[in-house]
Amino acid sequence: MFERITEPRARDGRAPDVFRPGAWMPMRCHADEEEVDFAIVGTGAGGGTLAAKLAEAGFSVVAFDAGPFWRPLEDFASDENAQGDLYWTDERITGGADPIQLGSNNSGKGVGGSTVHYAMVALRFRPEWFKARSKLGYARDWPLSFDELEPYYEEAEESLKISGPVHYPWGRRRRRYPRRAHPMNASALVLARGAERIGIPWSPVPLATLSAPRGMAHPCVYRGFCIYGCSTNAKQSVLVTFIPRAIRAGAEIRDQAMVGRIEMGKNGRATGLLYHRCGVWHRQKARHVVVAGYSIETPRLLLNSACAQFPNGLANDNGLVGTHLMIHSGPGVWGEMDEEIRSYKAPPSLAVTEHWNYHDEGKDFHGGYAFMSGGPLPGGWAHTLIGARGLWGMALRQEMTRFNRMAGLRIVGETEPKPHNRVELADETDQYGLRIPRVTFSFSDNDRRLMEHSIGSMRAVLEAAGARNLWSDRDSSHLLGSCRMGDDPEDSVTNADGRTWTIPNLWVCDGSLFPTSGGVNPSLTIQALACRIGDRIAAMAKRGELGR
Amino acid sequence: MPARIPEPSRRPLLAVGLGAATVAGVAGALAWRWWHRSERAEISPTRGLRAGAAVLSLAVLLDSGIEHYRGSFENPAMVIAPTLALATLGMTAVEDRAAPYVFGAALAVGAAGVAFHSYNIGKRAGGFDMLNLFYAAPLGAPAALSLAGLFGLAAEHPDVAKPERVAPVAALALLGTAAEAGLLHFRGAFQNPFMFAPVTLPPIAAAATAASGISPLVAKAARPLLLGTALLGIAGPILHAYGIHRNMGGWRNWSQMILQGPPLPAPPAFLGIALAALGALPALERTR
Ligand SMILES: Cc1cc2nc3c(=O)[nH]c(=O)nc-3n(C[C@H](O)[C@H](O)[C@H](O)COP(=O)(O)OP(=O)(O)OC[C@H]3O[C@@H](n4cnc5c(N)ncnc54)[C@H](O)[C@@H]3O)c2cc1C
Ligand code: SF4
Repeated sequence: MFERITEPRARDGRAPDVFRPGAWMPMRCHADEEEVDFAIVGTGAGGGTLAAKLAEAGFSVVAFDAGPFWRPLEDFASDENAQGDLYWTDERITGGADPIQLGSNNSGKGVGGSTVHYAMVALRFRPEWFKARSKLGYARDWPLSFDELEPYYEEAEESLKISGPVHYPWGRRRRRYPRRAHPMNASALVLARGAERIGIPWSPVPLATLSAPRGMAHPCVYRGFCIYGCSTNAKQSVLVTFIPRAIRAGAEIRDQAMVGRIEMGKNGRATGLLYHRCGVWHRQKARHVVVAGYSIETPRLLLNSACAQFPNGLANDNGLVGTHLMIHSGPGVWGEMDEEIRSYKAPPSLAVTEHWNYHDEGKDFHGGYAFMSGGPLPGGWAHTLIGARGLWGMALRQEMTRFNRMAGLRIVGETEPKPHNRVELADETDQYGLRIPRVTFSFSDNDRRLMEHSIGSMRAVLEAAGARNLWSDRDSSHLLGSCRMGDDPEDSVTNADGRTWTIPNLWVCDGSLFPTSGGVNPSLTIQALACRIGDRIAAMAKRGELGR
Repeated sequence: MPARIPEPSRRPLLAVGLGAATVAGVAGALAWRWWHRSERAEISPTRGLRAGAAVLSLAVLLDSGIEHYRGSFENPAMVIAPTLALATLGMTAVEDRAAPYVFGAALAVGAAGVAFHSYNIGKRAGGFDMLNLFYAAPLGAPAALSLAGLFGLAAEHPDVAKPERVAPVAALALLGTAAEAGLLHFRGAFQNPFMFAPVTLPPIAAAATAASGISPLVAKAARPLLLGTALLGIAGPILHAYGIHRNMGGWRNWSQMILQGPPLPAPPAFLGIALAALGALPALERTR
């Protein structure tokens, strides 16, 4: 059974060995007053990956995470409700015309970050999206190109041993995925059949879960609890990949350590940070600080670190910190099949079509979307029925009896970066006495047209596959942007290396860097960025450009 | 450019691989001695074919039994393969007038199995794409039943099944089996270096066997290669047992992992075919 973990596990020179029950691995530890090269806030897709890269490059690194250091083999239960501790559920205010549902849907808390409960979909951005403004005529350009990121996509895929199809039908020609695709479940076959019948391509989804053993990690057993924490270690979360790598290379991971403030010196450089662990505030000195708390906590920390020298918050001279927050819109369409589907078996998304990410003809909107076969567990499904269709009591129970025959599709839909979609500080404070974030979000007209279009395409596929009694629901996923990277200091928070324009030793390395959202799940791109930033920092250090 | 990505140590794999090779070598040598206990140090083509048919039957019996059990014997026809494999196994052990009929049936049913598995793949979404070749009903597996039947029949008709005819058939069978192992090991991304063994040694052995009619020298060269292939057929299940251990729960969870992990009874097909070919070799080594 799942027990709440309140005490830090990674300390006194050792950290949990995630591959062996009850075992430990040695970990180099640093004293607070020791000035380390890099203090990283957050150990998720961005922070955890970067911690490994920097430690392997020879830097001294301490990476902080507000959440626990899980032992997946022991801690994770096959119980939807018991797994709630994986999510960031600290108080937050959410508003706007389309308030974002926060928590399980988009933010994790714990070493490994949101990758501990993510759905493992590992897709690359469409190459043109990096130059969306100049090549496709909407939104903005990224400060780097696909070509610059491509080797790092490869590195991230290799590090996670992505299981993908032998030929992926979209995007640039690529090297073969490190591992072969997983077999498809019935829910994925519904997408495949429907897509074939309406004449659009489909593909097995490249996934960050093993289709063959790797070291001590077992291959996937298709148990389907992925978004509640994988208890077999098949899922290649940051917790079981980059974190052990980081520790082996000499990094220290500090779990249950909430960073409340970045401290600034008189010379306009960060000097370290204040963190809360075991009921006490501590101060860690560092030559560089990297913020990797994801799109809400990263701007919140920068804003909460306001001081006399930076009254609007750190790296926020142009007022852009917290702005241009994006999500992925996620309407879904569901229908009833004649045959049994049992879509909860195996990872939730096993088949995808990126057709409308790559084909722009006939669209009445900018941007793209991918859709994937769905695989809710019974609790999640009941929530969908209650939320989307208002079913309750006997009506809900009767609908639940059809659960095994339901098949569904859900999009990952691009949204536009808008300044009014943002993270700000509320006046209320949390359990640490820190001001909590207020998140405002509204879809644009373009976003709405995209969603309508996608519902039409999903209906067409499901109908062609033989589904009856179709209905749709609204959902969203992923957080992106809020500290965007760019070429122009006036118009962005960091440069292409995640280095903030105003404070040379303050960096951002997570999903908040995204200038646009693209129509695919973000973590592979975040990890590719982190791999690149790691290499860039090492190269700059060699050239003596870090001290600038 | 990105640096090399550190991987978990390969040492346990190498230890297991070497262990498996040693155990297979000892087991193979003992079996060879036992086989030769009463005769001259030579096996006849008939004995080779019959031993090959027996090993293949056993492999098919276990493999189709396990795999069709995994498929819940959803189609009643799924009981035919294991039943017939049991029957061919019996016929290789006793002298019985029914033998030719049983072997003939195995030959035909194996071919029908290939056709049926192909039909199943063709009607799936994606058709004959890699995903279906990996995970749908295996194309090559029923051919092993045909082969058991063919070897059985051949053993009954030494006049027709002359060594120079057996050798190329066995070579073709080795190639087919290597192709199937290659497909499935590719599915496993050759994550363990020993997964390359069945796609390297047997094809070379097949080439030498096919050419062994050309000169006694080639036939002599084929012998160690075929012995190596036979050893692979013994080492394979040991390595596959290690593969099962590397799945969730390992052998403690055997009832699931025998189905989910690498197939234990598949590699002995190499042993069966190699035995048939080894039986044909002495005659070829002597010619001219
Ligand atoms: C249910 C779900 C399914 C998903 N499925 C997919 C998918 O299939 N494919 C995909 O690409 N993406 C998926 N995602 C999204 C993906 O997980 C995130 O985009 C990605 O992990 C974000 O990386 P990050 O480094 O920006 O933040 P995170 O990975 O969230 O890491 C942030 C970490 O920082 C810590 N932190 C924050 N603030 C502080 C602080 N002040 N002090 C200390 N620690 C702090 C948090 O505890 C957290 O562990 C999914 C997400 C969810 C929730
Ligand atoms: S389906 Fe695979 S990845 Fe998902 S929880 Fe199970 S073993 Fe892990």
